[in-house]
Amino acid sequence: MTAAVSLIVLLVVLGSSIAVAAGMGLVGQILNQLYSPMPLTRMLGELTWSTTTNFILTAIPFYIMFGEILLRSGIAERMYNALVQWLSWLPGGLMHSNIGSCALFGSVSGSSVATAATIGVVAIGEIDKHNYNERLFLGTLAAGGTLGILIPPSINMIIYGVMTDTSVPKLYLAGFIPGFILTLLFSLTVLIACLWKPHWGGEKIPTSWQARIRTLPDLVPPLALLMIVIGAIFFGIATATESAAVGIIGALAITAWRRRLSLTMLRDVCEATVRTTAMVVAILVGAFFLNVVIQTIGLTQQLGKLITAYQLTPVQVLTAVIVLYLVLGTFMEELSMMISTIPITTPLILQAGYDPVWFGILLVLLIQTAMVTPPFGINIFVIHGIRGRGTLADVEKGSAPFVVALLLMIGLICVFPDIAMWLPRIVG
Amino acid sequence: MKRLQAIAEGISRGGAIVGGAMLLLAAVTICIDIVLRYAFSLTVGGADELSGYALAIASAWGFSAALLSRSHIRIDTVYVRVTKRARATLDLVSLAAFVFFAALVAWHAWGVLRQSYVSGSHSLSAIEMPLVVPQTLWFAGLAFFVAVALLLLARALFAYLKGDLDKLFELIGSKSAVAEAEEEIIAVERAFDSERKQ
Repeated sequence: MTAAVSLIVLLVVLGSSIAVAAGMGLVGQILNQLYSPMPLTRMLGELTWSTTTNFILTAIPFYIMFGEILLRSGIAERMYNALVQWLSWLPGGLMHSNIGSCALFGSVSGSSVATAATIGVVAIGEIDKHNYNERLFLGTLAAGGTLGILIPPSINMIIYGVMTDTSVPKLYLAGFIPGFILTLLFSLTVLIACLWKPHWGGEKIPTSWQARIRTLPDLVPPLALLMIVIGAIFFGIATATESAAVGIIGALAITAWRRRLSLTMLRDVCEATVRTTAMVVAILVGAFFLNVVIQTIGLTQQLGKLITAYQLTPVQVLTAVIVLYLVLGTFMEELSMMISTIPITTPLILQAGYDPVWFGILLVLLIQTAMVTPPFGINIFVIHGIRGRGTLADVEKGSAPFVVALLLMIGLICVFPDIAMWLPRIVG
Repeated sequence: MKRLQAIAEGISRGGAIVGGAMLLLAAVTICIDIVLRYAFSLTVGGADELSGYALAIASAWGFSAALLSRSHIRIDTVYVRVTKRARATLDLVSLAAFVFFAALVAWHAWGVLRQSYVSGSHSLSAIEMPLVVPQTLWFAGLAFFVAVALLLLARALFAYLKGDLDKLFELIGSKSAVAEAEEEIIAVERAFDSERKQ
């Protein structure tokens, strides 16, 4: 009963377009009034303070700042041109460079929107220049961009880690191989499409070994940052937050080397970072409060009992959760979907006997899928906006083959959990 | 009231820049800490604590900047499918809910600050930071956020009663996701343009 009421209240409040942060706070307050034996609101001050001074969460503004600096450092364009030389001989040409660039940029960036926007702006002019099938080309950018949150670092993994008390370095390790496989699956999708319809693949781009060698220095900055940011975590030298801080200094050094460092640039970086951070933190404060209320009124136990009563098997619970995310993901903004559902779904999954690290990776894959499924897919909006012509439906249709690849990846990780769990096991 | 909002925008922009600078400084401090730890086996400590304060203060001041630029996330599945008048009403309800929750948080934050002041609390760490210092800056950001939200609510209500719905949307309307995406793209393009000029 409590569960049903809570869910309805949450849906009504968030559905009425109340800001997600305030909405979750409000629902927390309502449930507190209805069901809690003690006034939990009194904890709100202490809760906000302890949440926002959490050292692990500091990684979020650091990664956002890191991305803002990278954007202004000019490494993306050079990196893309280098990968064009190395990857465009494949059937599908530049579309493989798109996916490769997204994967490489994703391995220094913690955000999918930033990855799609950055690579998208660099690549989009090539569609007309080389006569590509526009839809598929757009799809590679929208879907490739989602790799930003699967390949570590990842802002979404940090949020999941903090909310569920799961080790962020382990999540990073677990995301690595699935990220690699998914990149290959995306490329394979392009390959199959272009072997079937060769004219989709555009005109050949002249490449030569000399040109390839010449572009190598342009790959050094992103690879060096990747080594610093990810290497430091993998080898246990630094925590996720520390490595993000080192990444900021590294990105600043590259910006200075390219003579692009200025006070105006720093001011813009600071302002943009704080605005985005505040938006994320506001939702987190609301969610942490709601989380405390949910736990106090025993909502999770109630759901757990429900599952026992209906004698649901772990696989059934998992299937239900996956379907829930696929449905919610079509119309809900991705970040809010993740934060508002974690307190409910994660305990259920853990109770069913699944590993929290493994579920974190599955959740990220589901969020990626949500980012490229209409009507609300943030990456579709981003790529459509960059293109500046045609209809949203073009990007949606172009992304469809990659949604199939994502669903395949979700299936793979469910059947072979070791794809995610092998690396954290041997390193940890 | 228009001038009041211009002032509020100036302050919140300044707050965001200072907050961002604090975060940048925290990143530098952490790097120095790592270098000292590995190169000289020195543990100074406190860098993690300071960056926590930077996050709390920067986000408290960032709330108002995000509100003024209408960046707080809202689920607009229903919103985009109703009449203009209903949308305006939803905007007012949304902001009123924000004022309510923000005021609740700020009120209890005040309690935290007062408690730290009365008991003279210091952080349990090497630097023994008197908690009143970061908490005052934090609370000031939250209080400012409530004030800005109230100002916006008053202006929007005024516009609503006058029937000037376009004005209301301009003040507190929900930005469509497409508009959000466009802003992201403009930022990226601006960054690349400055590169091409060089």
